[in-house]
Amino acid sequence: MALRLTATELTETEQSLRAEVQSFLDDYLAPGTYTPGLGMAAGADKDLSRALGARGWLGMALPVKYGGRDASVVERFVVVEELLRRGAQIEQHWTADRQSGLTINRYGTEEQKQALLPKICAGEAAFCIGMSEPDSGSDLSSVTTRALKVEGGYRVTGTKIWTSNAHFCDWMICLVRTSDSEDRHAGLSQLIVDMASPGLQVNPIPFIDGTADFAEVVLDEVFVPDSGLLGTEGDGWHQCTSELSFERAGAERWLSPYLVVETWLHEHHEELGEEARSFLGAAVAKWWGLRQVSLSVARLIDEGHAPSVESAMGKDLGTEFEQWVMASLQQLVELEPTLAGASEFERLFAKALLVSPSWTLRGGTNEILRGVIAKGLR
Amino acid sequence: MIDPVLIDAAERVFTDVATFDAVEAAESEGFSAPIWDAVAAMGLPWISIPEAEGGVGGTLEDAMAVLRIAGRFGAPIPIAETGVLAGWALASAGLELGEGPLSIVPGQAGNTLHLEGGRLVGQARRVPWASTAAQIVALVDGQIVAVNPADAQIEVAANLAGEPRDTVIFEGVTPMQVAPAPESVTHWSLRIRGALSRAALIAGALEGIVNLTVAYTSERRQFGKAVGSFQSVQNLLVRCGEDAVLVGLAVDAATRELSRGHGDFEVACAKSLASDAARTASRAAHQAHGAMGMTREYPLHQLTRRLWSWRAEFDDAAWKRDLGAAVVRFGPDQMYRAIAEGSGSGIELGS
Repeated sequence: MALRLTATELTETEQSLRAEVQSFLDDYLAPGTYTPGLGMAAGADKDLSRALGARGWLGMALPVKYGGRDASVVERFVVVEELLRRGAQIEQHWTADRQSGLTINRYGTEEQKQALLPKICAGEAAFCIGMSEPDSGSDLSSVTTRALKVEGGYRVTGTKIWTSNAHFCDWMICLVRTSDSEDRHAGLSQLIVDMASPGLQVNPIPFIDGTADFAEVVLDEVFVPDSGLLGTEGDGWHQCTSELSFERAGAERWLSPYLVVETWLHEHHEELGEEARSFLGAAVAKWWGLRQVSLSVARLIDEGHAPSVESAMGKDLGTEFEQWVMASLQQLVELEPTLAGASEFERLFAKALLVSPSWTLRGGTNEILRGVIAKGLR
Repeated sequence: MIDPVLIDAAERVFTDVATFDAVEAAESEGFSAPIWDAVAAMGLPWISIPEAEGGVGGTLEDAMAVLRIAGRFGAPIPIAETGVLAGWALASAGLELGEGPLSIVPGQAGNTLHLEGGRLVGQARRVPWASTAAQIVALVDGQIVAVNPADAQIEVAANLAGEPRDTVIFEGVTPMQVAPAPESVTHWSLRIRGALSRAALIAGALEGIVNLTVAYTSERRQFGKAVGSFQSVQNLLVRCGEDAVLVGLAVDAATRELSRGHGDFEVACAKSLASDAARTASRAAHQAHGAMGMTREYPLHQLTRRLWSWRAEFDDAAWKRDLGAAVVRFGPDQMYRAIAEGSGSGIELGS
């Protein structure tokens, strides 16, 4: 077996960053002063995002000249981990910080970088992802949203769907078809679309938990200037698939139900039986192990490797574990939770039950991901 | 940093001697002299014990890396017992390691060993390779004792993999060597080292079953194509692969912490993960192999039967209870610190 991850640990510099972030968040997110959420779907708080940006903790991996700090993937892990395990409302900056900024830095023009990256680093530019369509999910090559070349730019027509946070985002990196080709992977391009463009309409799609952060984005002859083309025309599929291939194994893949367990422990630690303690021990062991996986993958990326299979494994392992946590808790806890429950644990538990199916499918279903992993094992 | 020259050499010797036939033969003979002789000639069982104490030097990381290779081949020899368990206990107490394989009495319910006027009395169950060991080592009443197996009454028994796990009865045996156990050698620290050694063997065996499963599902054809091209079969392969990667990494991290002196939390996590993976990966590997994996003619059983034994040895579910109880004692506010900082957070597992 060729795949192997090597154990790594935080350097002294990374540990002091961790201490710095902890000390800031202990104060800024003091218990009782905010409503904690679950992982990547914890909600948005513009002020928090700006405060993080002001401290240099957004777009960290971006170059200093664009407002970043040339930080490593491990350093970003350190910041993200502290935010997620507190249930911080990170959605305002999440997509921009995790992937849009990096994609623009990798493929964008100097003009795009200067215009957008400093705003991402400041927490001032929110991005959403325009990949899925009514008939295009895991198979991105079936994208039909069309960008017609016109004088000075493109006219984009089509529908993007299941887009998180489209209603407050400033920009969408949109995968569109710019030409027809025998090879369905060719002819796709990425455009940076201004969400305030005429002809662009955001229609909320009510989510399973009653929230309205999910949306359909209808584009009706939306004009996108040539300056909005990201990377090379026709390279969209390649750019898109490389976008997430290394960033899949982050802490967001195993911390979604963390606060459910922590609040459960807070409220019930005096009455836990043997079965409950076994569950807790198994969960903590797995969290510890999955954290080693995330760190190890991050370190490999920082060392210049391309651990796409290991990264996919991290996502599959982490999110399947998240489902196991919810299944186990349902068996352990004698409670029919409601969103308006009396305790923090009950509310988080109810919320987690409703949204947990998304954990193993957002950003690509685990079933499809396993095809990638199996190929890597051969 | 694990010594790459050592790893290369160990890979070569196990490849040469720990063949399918040699592993099969050991099951009827109770011990594999050819494998042991080749591995011992290179000094592999005594890695991590200082030369001054009768070992061959090297680090605990080196020793675990070699165990992982031994596990991948299902090597039926007491390599963990001779080095990081019994050898470590003897060397720590200033006793002689001698030259042959060693056995260690594991902490086990039903063990009644005690010393009466310097003589060993009582019985111990599931003692690995007791009858073929040069010395049986035990921690009894605060003393490290080493006994000649010829002086004991041995009821031969085996684990699921057909490896000797004997019941040993002592009726007033004078030990070959005895010395007070140093502070570092306790039933707890032996349990920790035992668990880490089994986790390392499991990590290796998991890699072995991934290799077998990849090869078999690529070659075996049904409905006109390799069975590995079916998504549901790929899922089984991925289950094994992910388990192997996770457990291998966990063993590395736990070994690093234990070698620094405080790794109880990490070892407990690693053994818990390893035992879970032993269950899930062996099930997936067998499912992917179909009937072929159920035969003694095909090598899968040499690894999966060991996985089922190593899963239970030095505890399985007990680690989860220990970890859970430790987290409850440590407090909800500290739970994440335990996850992120491990033993360094100050979380205490047990005795």
